[in-house]
Amino acid sequence: MNRLPPPFGSRIDRAQRLHFSFEGRKLEGFAGDTIASALAASGEWQVSRSFKYHRPRGLHSLTGSDANALVQVGDEPNVDAGLTPLRDGMVVSAQNVNGSLAHDRDSVIDKLGRFLPVGFYYRTFMGPTHNAWLKLWEPLIRRKAGLGRLHMTASHPHGDTVHLHCDVLVVGCGPAGLAAGIEAARSGADVILCEAEPELSGSLTFAAEQHGLASLVAEAQSLPGLRLMTGTVCNGWFEDNWLPLIRGNTLHRVRARRVIFATGVLEQPAVFRNNDLPGLMAAGTVRRLVRHYGVKTGTTAVVLAAGDETLDTVRALQEAGVQIAAVVAPQPLSATCMDELRREGLPVIDGRIEEARGNKRLSALRVGGRWIDCDVAAITAGYMPSWQLPCQAGARLVCGDDGEMSFTGFPPDVDIAGGITGHSAHEAVLADGRRAAQAALRALGLAAREEISRPSPASKPFRFWDAPGEPDPRGRDFVDFDEDLQVKDLVHAVQEGYREIELVKRFTTVGMGPSQGRHSAKAAALIVARSTARRLSQTGVTTARPPAGPEKLSVLAGHHTVTERRTALHAAHVQLGAEMRPVGNWWRPYVYRTGAPREEAIAAEVKAVREGVGLLDVSTLGKLEVRGPDAGAFLDRMYATNHGNQSIGRVRYALMLNEMGSVMDDGVVLRLTEDTFYVTATTGAVARVYADMSFWNAQWRMNVDVLNLTGAFCGLNLTGPKARAVLSGLSSDISFEPEAFPYLQGKSATIAGVPVRAMRIGFTGELSYELHCAGSQAMTLYKAIAQAGPAHDLKPYGLEASRILRLEKGHILIGQDTDAMSTPDELGFGWAVSKRKAFFVGKRSLEARRRTGLQRKLAGLTFAASLGPNDMGEGCLVLRNGEVAGHVTSFATSPTLGKPIALAHVHTDDAKPGATVSLRARNGATIAATVAGHAFFDPQNLRQEI
Amino acid sequence: MSALFPLQPGGAASELTDGLGPHAALSIRDLTPMPRFGIKGAGSAAWFAGQGVALPPVNRLAQHDDTTFLRLGTNDLVCLADGDNEGLTRLRRSWHDAAAPKGYWSWREESWAWLRLGGAALEGALQRLCAVDLRAQSFRQQDVAQTRFAHVDAVVFRCEAGFDILFDITLTAQVLAAIEVARHAAEQGEAS
Repeated sequence: MNRLPPPFGSRIDRAQRLHFSFEGRKLEGFAGDTIASALAASGEWQVSRSFKYHRPRGLHSLTGSDANALVQVGDEPNVDAGLTPLRDGMVVSAQNVNGSLAHDRDSVIDKLGRFLPVGFYYRTFMGPTHNAWLKLWEPLIRRKAGLGRLHMTASHPHGDTVHLHCDVLVVGCGPAGLAAGIEAARSGADVILCEAEPELSGSLTFAAEQHGLASLVAEAQSLPGLRLMTGTVCNGWFEDNWLPLIRGNTLHRVRARRVIFATGVLEQPAVFRNNDLPGLMAAGTVRRLVRHYGVKTGTTAVVLAAGDETLDTVRALQEAGVQIAAVVAPQPLSATCMDELRREGLPVIDGRIEEARGNKRLSALRVGGRWIDCDVAAITAGYMPSWQLPCQAGARLVCGDDGEMSFTGFPPDVDIAGGITGHSAHEAVLADGRRAAQAALRALGLAAREEISRPSPASKPFRFWDAPGEPDPRGRDFVDFDEDLQVKDLVHAVQEGYREIELVKRFTTVGMGPSQGRHSAKAAALIVARSTARRLSQTGVTTARPPAGPEKLSVLAGHHTVTERRTALHAAHVQLGAEMRPVGNWWRPYVYRTGAPREEAIAAEVKAVREGVGLLDVSTLGKLEVRGPDAGAFLDRMYATNHGNQSIGRVRYALMLNEMGSVMDDGVVLRLTEDTFYVTATTGAVARVYADMSFWNAQWRMNVDVLNLTGAFCGLNLTGPKARAVLSGLSSDISFEPEAFPYLQGKSATIAGVPVRAMRIGFTGELSYELHCAGSQAMTLYKAIAQAGPAHDLKPYGLEASRILRLEKGHILIGQDTDAMSTPDELGFGWAVSKRKAFFVGKRSLEARRRTGLQRKLAGLTFAASLGPNDMGEGCLVLRNGEVAGHVTSFATSPTLGKPIALAHVHTDDAKPGATVSLRARNGATIAATVAGHAFFDPQNLRQEI
Repeated sequence: MSALFPLQPGGAASELTDGLGPHAALSIRDLTPMPRFGIKGAGSAAWFAGQGVALPPVNRLAQHDDTTFLRLGTNDLVCLADGDNEGLTRLRRSWHDAAAPKGYWSWREESWAWLRLGGAALEGALQRLCAVDLRAQSFRQQDVAQTRFAHVDAVVFRCEAGFDILFDITLTAQVLAAIEVARHAAEQGEAS
């Protein structure tokens, strides 16, 4: 065990022991540990294998900024061990290994690196044959992808989505963020402080000197206008200050009037041969392990120095009892720093680390040609501002040739504060936080103070302390640990002709892994600049885009909400044993189960309608009211059919085209009064029809009002030879006799005490009455009909029976028997298109398309009764001379006719009744079908008009 | 002739009424059967004004005669009362008796469900159900939001108990299920 005694380990609770396993080994940790810290405490320094070469990898940043710490936890892949709290019973394993983490058979790839240069996949995976990509390479790549194992039986995590609003959002709760949040909240602003770490104070939580920050934290926790969100990652910036804050499985969608990024700086790794060996880690990681988790990181250390913060790393190591073999200083350190190091008697070596060695763990570093034995190295090659979020917000990162960096071009409602601006002195960081808050308050009208000028940052805080050198001839000098990219890979990319950093990024994938360039962007930019004989200021760094870090799709998806519209008769259907199915947004009765097999029940429902009477809930139909002095003229413009001249009480078929002349919808129009029309639309298209009507009404400025009544009204279709008999048994103020209520007539009436709009129309080809009423009255009407029904063998029928009944009559379903190109002529609906109207939507296009002639027509097809049950179906191809001429749009075996029937697009020349067409069956055979007339059943339409 | 609405016994979503009530952390009261009516189209605003109603601007509400008037558009108005209300009944009768121009009946009493939400968990639940800034300082007593609530189009406004929500009556089951999920999540303490 590498655990240090208290007071080390500010985050752990030694009273709570947690048990877990890693690679099958039983280990122990404490509450407050992360998986990574518990592994380190248990002496497990190797936690993963690298993406490409399967090299041993250890902890690097502990901040979620690298891929080294990704592990599999149970059924969840790609869990960041550095951020994920340890839980009792966790089963943790390495991912991307062939065998085990200790003995990975794929580590042989590390020896074959010279044959796998960057970009080799662009060439290799194209051959050797046309389909090699799919047949050979894709399965191989999937096996080797190194992204963990997806368990198909994994539990479905439900994400939570929360919408938050605030005046000021401060991202980052180090000293600057705390100062900014407190300053803003004190002045009455509604402030959210977002911090990825579990506690406030940022990097000071693992620093020796606390600078009295406890009082700031206490004040932040006490201010009523300050919402503290620790353990929360801000993962992007989007337009209008919309920022996703992710905490666990919850996505907080935040709208902020002002945003202050106080996200600090990123430690940069040094580039030298074998710089990825376990034991080499960011200096901040060393301090975190010691102070947050009480983990002794090794026995002998080398520290790569980059500024005065080196002293704190040295102190942490010394406090933990780690011997410091050397402090390596690539650049001259400050006099203060040098005095302190000398006082401690530590050897300071001017120069660079040239190479590391070790077998699965660091054993020595070469500096100035001399090998120094060590098992841990605290590395800081310099710093980079956390540039991603500000750059997503529109700022530009300006690079100096010495690696210095600054931002320009902020949008007015976004600011940065603290270390990200280059400040490192504590008082300056606090002052900059307060300045940013004051600027936000002024913009919000909450402060009248004069503008505070931004304090000047320290000199060149982001310059290179240890810039990457030339490629090591033996390679393995990694620039990007995520993708195993070495210096020579970037140099080769430039030699391939990719001179621009964005092109190099895409060719090599540098910065495209989980770290998103946090540790590689700056070094990569310098290497590209050097390789193209340019300056860093000319190449710049790669573009930062959201998301800033990995995020789970389940978090983005949130809770899965099933769209569920119910008609007012839903409970009645359920009570009758209906098999309810989703149809678009609606839940509808598919068939009423009577104990018989489903197909038999459907056939019985069809038979009931043909021979007796059936009742169908058609409430899902679109229902619109168009009213006003110009209503008739308006409908004449909207529909290809004529309605302005429609007499009151008359129902007329309505055909709607879009601007392309394609059929968009159909329905019926009932003229209720001189200036009131009741219009039906198909279930699936009514939203579009209503939107189009509203749009054109605004365009044309006619004296018309359009109302969508789809949800307000219910519809019942009573259909079958005995329909009239059923209705005649109900109390009503109208007669249902054919002379009083003929086919295609409509009336406002009262039936069973319920006001209804009754229409003599139907989809089945039988005597039909469609009764529409207010939803709240629908159950009353339904029950009255149901009570009158038994004497006439009334049966409710479902959607599948309805679909078959209409197919027997050759009626089309918009969207099923039509597509985006269907014209009225193709459907045989040319008769419905007005020839005398000067204008209707789609007229001009339809006329133009008519001049080009028809390529296909929708035709009815009949088949030999010997067709197998699954031989034919919707989507089967219609062939002509071996070429595809169309496809089957509707298919059913008709219970009434006792044979299969279909609607299909066929070549125009094959559309005449009696013609024979060929179809490709589902079993691959070619099947012949005969073209029928427009209806398979009752082609003279005698039954519906009785 | 009795009316039946989704959350009443025998209604389309009646099996989901367990969460209804005033005592839960998130109280849900079904006001769907309460009286209301709306008119829209040319002449609507003028007709109301002619009845002495001081109409609010668009997306605001006003109180008149114990009736709440929501103005959803220049000529799109709804009046509601959460109990028997003579003023509303009188207005409705007057409208039916009036001659055009008077706008057109918009069937709001049939097309909308009406839920009243309140309780300690309301804020956390609203944050999960609606993207609009409904904080007291941003969304005032007279404000009306025509927005998305529980993934459906809805009209949202304040009431004494909390918030009133009007939405497509056919989506009652879905909205109630979404509110239940939000209530549960809010009670889990994930809210900020």
